Amino acid sequence: MNEADRLKAFEERIRRGEKIEPGDWMPDEYRRQLIRMISQHAHSEVVGMLPEGAWITRAPNLRRKLVLLAKVQDEAGHGQYLYHAAETLGATREEMIEALLSGRAKYSSIFNYPSLSWADMGVIGWFVDGAAILNQTMLARCSYGPYSRANIRISAEESFHMKQGKEQVILMSQGSPLQRSMVQDAANRWWWPTIMMFGPHDHDSPNSPVLIRWGIKTKTNDQLRQDFVNQVAPEVLELGLSLPDPELHFDQASGNWLIGPIDWDEFWRVVKGDGPCNAERMAARRKAHADGEWVREALAGYAERQPAA
Amino acid sequence: MKDTQWPIYQVFHQEQPDRPHTNAGAVHAPDAELALQNARDVFVRRPDCVSLWVVPADQIFSLTAEEIERAGLPPTPAGNGDSQRYLVFLKRTQAGSHEHVGAVSASSGPAALGEAVRSFGTEEALVWWVVPEGLVERTDAAEVGSLFGPAKDKPYRDQAFYHTTTLMRQIRGRPRQET
Repeated sequence: MNEADRLKAFEERIRRGEKIEPGDWMPDEYRRQLIRMISQHAHSEVVGMLPEGAWITRAPNLRRKLVLLAKVQDEAGHGQYLYHAAETLGATREEMIEALLSGRAKYSSIFNYPSLSWADMGVIGWFVDGAAILNQTMLARCSYGPYSRANIRISAEESFHMKQGKEQVILMSQGSPLQRSMVQDAANRWWWPTIMMFGPHDHDSPNSPVLIRWGIKTKTNDQLRQDFVNQVAPEVLELGLSLPDPELHFDQASGNWLIGPIDWDEFWRVVKGDGPCNAERMAARRKAHADGEWVREALAGYAERQPAA
Repeated sequence: MKDTQWPIYQVFHQEQPDRPHTNAGAVHAPDAELALQNARDVFVRRPDCVSLWVVPADQIFSLTAEEIERAGLPPTPAGNGDSQRYLVFLKRTQAGSHEHVGAVSASSGPAALGEAVRSFGTEEALVWWVVPEGLVERTDAAEVGSLFGPAKDKPYRDQAFYHTTTLMRQIRGRPRQET
């Protein structure tokens, strides 16, 4: 079989809804796009522990502390599921972690914004995890088997993340004037960064057509973004909160909640490393890696001394 | 010392005593004992596990339906006489994971794959995995309580713990508050 026939057979498999598994033939570009996407997704889970991890010691009560600990622990696990999915394509965890620590790898720009008050723990859960769930529910249908399975597992666990956050926003929005102003402030700060999480508009997203063609993604950035706004905006308004977009309105004709223009200059600034917390996040990851080195050394030393099985 | 991430172990978990062990994903670990520990931490944060197995990933012999269609069945190498047992795992549905279905005896990994395909039939699976049974590290039945018990005391990890739909409904039924 020549290359063109193989590609044709591969694309027919995708059209039939088959999953591609390690060992199966796949185009180099399919492999390259998946490694790029999955490693960025993994890094996002790992860096995503930082904005919330900072609030574990300052949780207002034991229930909230247990919930936040459990959520951050889940993110660590999700990073591991995803690194493994990328490894099945020939990437090694060593090189992926090295790419993250050296600053070459990208991760979701949302995590370069600071978490300034406890109310952010609610809003991050509802907005940021809510947005992530829409993306991951789509990726659970991905044509690549190991990535699809990782996302099925992640999506099942992540609905708890979204609902614990939404519960907090609901309760704070019905609370004291100070609680209401805290949660309004958090919503104001996180709304646009969350909208930007879905990435550039479809017409500015060069990878989109090939990702859709090969069943890696089944919805475009703009479709997912619209799903998110439709889901979240009306409920935020029902709570008596506002969103920082004077153009936000329900459009009868399309049945969609429409938003005003997105500040893409800000998006690209943060993606390219000049966000409020990029340097802080990377410094925290490098420190965690360096601080764990003696543990890795001790375990390796112990394993070496064990008699061969 | 080189700062390695250690070898990969594939992890199989069992959700109920009457269900097969199913592939959950993989972990890195310096040895099988720690691979089990890491597998517990990474894959059993919720109460749906009664047993875990780990297997060194580089000892798994794998074959996919696509490989068979593209290149035919690989030739079965002649045995050297010493046969051992291999556990067989099949991925049988597009969306599913690799499930433990039984064992075969063979003199090598490739021979075990051929044996597995013959025993279970090419129509039966999308991916075949075989692994020497002696290399499978399993959780000890005596440790099940201490390993998997803690996940049972954390109902707040379940989305059903949060009554957001009820709360939203109550708020919709109330007059709007002044902000």
